[in-house]
Amino acid sequence: MILGSMILLLLAVFGAPLFAVIATSAMLGYQRDDTDLMNMALEIQSIADLPFLAAIPLFTFAGYVLSESEAPKRLVRLTSSLLGWMPGGLALVSLAACAFFTAFTGASGVTIIALGAILYPALKHDGYPDKFNLGLVTSSGSLGLLFAPSLPLILYGVIAEVSIDDLFLAGILPGMLMLVMLSVWSLWVNRTNRKPLASFSWRDTGKAIRESIWEIPLPFVVLGGIYSGFLAVSEAAAITALYVLIVEVGIHREISLKKLPNIMRSSMVLVGGILIILGVSLASTNYMIGAGIPQLLLEYVSSLVSSPVSFLILLLIFLLVLGAILDIFSAIVLVVPLILPIAAQYGVHEVHLGIVFLAAMQLGYMTPPVGLNLFIASYRFDKPIMHVYSATFPFLIILTFSVILIAFWPNLSLWLLSE
Amino acid sequence: MPTGLRSFLSRLDNAGRLVENIVLVTLLSGMMLLAVGQIVLREVFDTGIIWADELVRLVVLWLAMMGAIAACREDRHIRIDALSHLFSDNVISGIRIVVDLFAAGVCAVIAWQAYRYLQLEIEFEDTVLVGTPAWIAHVIIPIGFALFSYRFLVSVMKRVVSIFIVEDEAAA
Repeated sequence: MILGSMILLLLAVFGAPLFAVIATSAMLGYQRDDTDLMNMALEIQSIADLPFLAAIPLFTFAGYVLSESEAPKRLVRLTSSLLGWMPGGLALVSLAACAFFTAFTGASGVTIIALGAILYPALKHDGYPDKFNLGLVTSSGSLGLLFAPSLPLILYGVIAEVSIDDLFLAGILPGMLMLVMLSVWSLWVNRTNRKPLASFSWRDTGKAIRESIWEIPLPFVVLGGIYSGFLAVSEAAAITALYVLIVEVGIHREISLKKLPNIMRSSMVLVGGILIILGVSLASTNYMIGAGIPQLLLEYVSSLVSSPVSFLILLLIFLLVLGAILDIFSAIVLVVPLILPIAAQYGVHEVHLGIVFLAAMQLGYMTPPVGLNLFIASYRFDKPIMHVYSATFPFLIILTFSVILIAFWPNLSLWLLSE
Repeated sequence: MPTGLRSFLSRLDNAGRLVENIVLVTLLSGMMLLAVGQIVLREVFDTGIIWADELVRLVVLWLAMMGAIAACREDRHIRIDALSHLFSDNVISGIRIVVDLFAAGVCAVIAWQAYRYLQLEIEFEDTVLVGTPAWIAHVIIPIGFALFSYRFLVSVMKRVVSIFIVEDEAAA
């Protein structure tokens, strides 16, 4: 058994498709228990039993359509007209626009490609140092992951059977904390270059608002629809997708009908990659729960730590290591079912756990060796990967601090829930 | 490779991509309209289609499988990508032959098991969606895994062929 696990681990590290590795581990477990292997099919088709899952393909598609249109440019113009008058305006504009965009596109690297391409040259033009710009754009690519309707939030809700509405609320303040901390840092680094982008002008703001008039209702449709009790998450996703489609294809005419099948395809390639891992993980998780692995894990953890504080420290260390090797979606489906019961034993609220989990995994986007954003930025801006590492490092440190704060300050996540 | 075979393979590739796109576009658009239609029915007409929610969830299963099939073609399955930046392309190609062969084998096993399960569903006349035979909804699983397996094998073959072609050129 140990030999089998070792071989599987090696295969995973050497780049075997994760879903195949997870499926094999589940089937090895079946074999040991004399469970019929065709249970695998039963587990995979139970993807269709999970509620709200339709939100994932629908929001992903909406995000892809937005990023293929001119919406990123409009978003930058709108944020510039609103925030540009502040000292260090463009840095703040970049952070805010990226966070907003990532929330809608699900942190799949789309932000760096769609927004980074606009912001990176603009920052340079405004006299910001190159290294700062690279770090800012790279780390902003996963900022906003805690804001609704980001995919990881939805996936955590589905897996942990926690109310997605609550998660959407809980992410707001921790997400803001990350934004504010990075903004303060950006202002401080550029204290010598404090010229505002432009003075505030009602005319420019009005123009930017008119330009984006069709996209501005989006957050209100999503959040308003859900919190008024009018729409379930998956329904809000369907309306968002259809609305975005009508606006960008029908009204703005920035995406031709001919391009649409390929946009659908590339968004569903991402969704298929995530959901197939979800499917086989349902099998491996059920096997592990049947075999009592969570209890064993709990016994082991309680032999290491006794207080909730030391548990959180252990959890954070674990998540940072996990985030460095595993992508956020696989980590959620594989690990959340195992740590959920343990966290409950230590009195960690399941919504708070979700926010800590995602916030810590967000750092994984910018930590070597597998940090996705590092490679996308290196590729997109044609910089050596080591250079991107060092440019991103200060941002990584600040975000790490914010994650620690989020972990040890549960009320920051839970405050809006108790209202 | 003879040119006739090569053009046949490239036509097969295009046809496969087209079929995937047609199915994906149909499923995604259908799901969008069904979900929005259900909201309109509920809010405006105070009614609804009984099987709509179940159908949406089955479409998610199909989208997941079809998306994963397309991901195989584009080599976009999620992998731990830690080593590709450490080794040379040749070493990576060798490693990929081994791990993809493994993936092809696993997928073949699952396809077979899913096929067995499907036969069971036919035998017991399981149903979904008010009376539709369940196997129709679930047939995508054995088909999908068989296609995954085929795709991984094709990618292994391509890599093996390219090793020999490079060696041929080096020898010449």
